Amino acid sequence: MDSVEQIPEDDWTDQDLLTRDEAGRRLEAEIEVVTGELAALRHPDPGPLELAEITLLARRLAAMKAARSDLRS
Amino acid sequence: MPLQPWMKLISVDDHLIEHPLVWQDRVPAKYKEQAPRIVETPRPGHLPIQSWRYEDRDYPYIGLNAVAGKKPEEYGLEPVRYDDMIPGCYDPKARVADMDIDGVQAMMCFPSFPRFCGTIFLEAQDKALALLCVQAYNDFVLDEWTAAAPDRFIPVVILPLWDAQLSVQEIHRTAAKGAKAITFPDLPQALGLPSVHNDYWDPVLSAAEETGMPLCQHFGSGGTNAIPQIAKDAPFAVMINLMGTNSMHSTADWMFSPLLHRHPKLKIGLSEGGVGWIPYIVERADYVWKKHRYYQNINKDVPPSELFKRHIHGCFIEDEFGVNNRHIIGVDRITWECDYPHSDSFWPASRKRAAEVFANVPDEEVHRMVELNARRFYNFPAAEEAVSVAAVG
Repeated sequence: MDSVEQIPEDDWTDQDLLTRDEAGRRLEAEIEVVTGELAALRHPDPGPLELAEITLLARRLAAMKAARSDLRS
Repeated sequence: MPLQPWMKLISVDDHLIEHPLVWQDRVPAKYKEQAPRIVETPRPGHLPIQSWRYEDRDYPYIGLNAVAGKKPEEYGLEPVRYDDMIPGCYDPKARVADMDIDGVQAMMCFPSFPRFCGTIFLEAQDKALALLCVQAYNDFVLDEWTAAAPDRFIPVVILPLWDAQLSVQEIHRTAAKGAKAITFPDLPQALGLPSVHNDYWDPVLSAAEETGMPLCQHFGSGGTNAIPQIAKDAPFAVMINLMGTNSMHSTADWMFSPLLHRHPKLKIGLSEGGVGWIPYIVERADYVWKKHRYYQNINKDVPPSELFKRHIHGCFIEDEFGVNNRHIIGVDRITWECDYPHSDSFWPASRKRAAEVFANVPDEEVHRMVELNARRFYNFPAAEEAVSVAAVG
């Protein structure tokens, strides 16, 4: 059986960070999810609770798109 | 939906990356060449590596990238530069924007270059400079990082651990500036410091009691000698799997230490170790205490489980077993964390993950675990409560 090759650095220091690339990928995935959630909520006659949820989701979606744009620049 | 929209998530274990001028902006001019500073080392075919230099010692990286953007077969650790990080790592305003996206109201950020509890300064040749560096870090946390959004960050400070009296002074100095917590080694003996069975720490613990600041023991803060000793040919997964055992060790030390009996108001937070292991180790401690206390120098009257209830709390990111056993652990001993900006966090969906974790838990208990317990332990009232307390006071 092959021996396992260890990572040479001591990552007990726990400094594996979210990079721009990784954060961008995660934002892309979450934007897709939230876009779907918003579409499901939007129908011709939303109630007050649904309207509040739509507002919150739309605000978060806009913030995520802005963050993704900033990471690309 | 047990995690209600009005519940504010408070994370008690996160991290900040110090910007390059944290120490250079704050130490006297004569120390700038020796204080921590960023140096750039050329690397063929790549941008230079950015790393910290402190006195004449080089520390190999400012952060690592193990998995991001790679196929599993390409995993490995590479140094990252500030340019590679998301700004929320080192810029508090960008951090707040990332917290908003993540649905997190407030967080407590541990240091990175100084290590989780400032033990980098134990290595100093010049302890006068080391003390200035400890103070500079704490001033950065209080005057710059948390000052950017005081209702969003719980300030946690480091100590000059090599000197108990200096540590006491730093606790009082930083408490007067608004510090809320102290980061402390999970296994101090592994760093060559006295253990928590030693009265060396008495004045430090008294100062923590007087200021109401918990000691936060992030697992792994005892250094490489304290980590589980795995086989050289074992995959690193074994180490990751065992990380919570450091917190078990810390808990066992405290439950049989004389110090908690002398410091009845001391609060201890176990950071990032999870909570599912707590029922076992506390029950085991009581068995040991019942059978073995008479011939050992341990308290004969108060069972370890009682000390745990009085003093210790834990936190978790995802721990289904711990949540299912919350009544045995104590709902009021559990807090939540999201570990931003480390890659094992669930950002930008931490709130969604928390909603899944708490799906079968009553609202009132969820509220305690995600918000109210942290506000109580860390004396961190909601902004509107803080205003009304100030008005009354």
